[in-house]
Amino acid sequence: MATVTDPPAMAGAGIAAPPAALTGLPPYTATLLRWSFAIGLIPPVALVVALAARSILLLTFVHVLSGGTWTGFDLFMGLVMSRVLRSLEIPQRVEVAKRLTPTTFFILPSLAATAITAGIYLAQAEGKFDLGSPWIIAAGVVVVLLTVQGFGIFMPNSVRIFIELAEHQPDTARIARLNMRNIRLAGLQALFQVAIIVIMAHLAVY
Amino acid sequence: MEVNVGALVAVVVLAAAFLAIFGSLYRGAVRAFARGELDAAGVRILRRAVIGQLAIYIVLALTAFFTIPPAPPS
Repeated sequence: MATVTDPPAMAGAGIAAPPAALTGLPPYTATLLRWSFAIGLIPPVALVVALAARSILLLTFVHVLSGGTWTGFDLFMGLVMSRVLRSLEIPQRVEVAKRLTPTTFFILPSLAATAITAGIYLAQAEGKFDLGSPWIIAAGVVVVLLTVQGFGIFMPNSVRIFIELAEHQPDTARIARLNMRNIRLAGLQALFQVAIIVIMAHLAVY
Repeated sequence: MEVNVGALVAVVVLAAAFLAIFGSLYRGAVRAFARGELDAAGVRILRRAVIGQLAIYIVLALTAFFTIPPAPPS
């Protein structure tokens, strides 16, 4: 139980402490993180099964499902959640961030890594992984951009939200700002993913 | 068993990049904990987060050992 009550020093000084609901990591964080991990394990394990079975059909299924889910998730975050969050007050946005950050912490990177890895294996297995092909180069450039965003912005922001939530006096405005940044970035990622789907469609047909 | 060395190296490089970025944030969190600004639960949850991510990288690394042989370029 990580809920923090008003510190005596603050109460004595007559300074209003943040509401109890906004301080410390809530007890459900660990549960949501475990749930995220359990779901996040499914895509890479399915990829191992597809490769072990040497099944192109299963490999295609894993690639399309993980990539489609990743894209759909980012579109939802960018187009729907960003609008919903904008309509909420800062404390309500923080409450969303408290639940959204641990729930997506493993699922999104796992979907992204599985979709990309499965895509490369599929291209290799079908003899389309030609590094001289402009379509493969274009796919590679988009993948690098998505990876840099994921490692450079998404993941650090999520960790910063965890750290901020665990502080005795969390900066709620910063939490809301970091969460909002991640959601806007998800919208940008969705655009890149739509671009990569155009490339994939070309590779699949020609 | 044929190992896809390229895939294995890619997973190791990504895991190393993840550890480097996460590690710097974790060190900051530990310093904040030492200053008494951070809950112990915060440091614990970060440890769980890094272990979970590494577990996912390990499963991804396993794929390098089951690679389907490449077909000749079409």
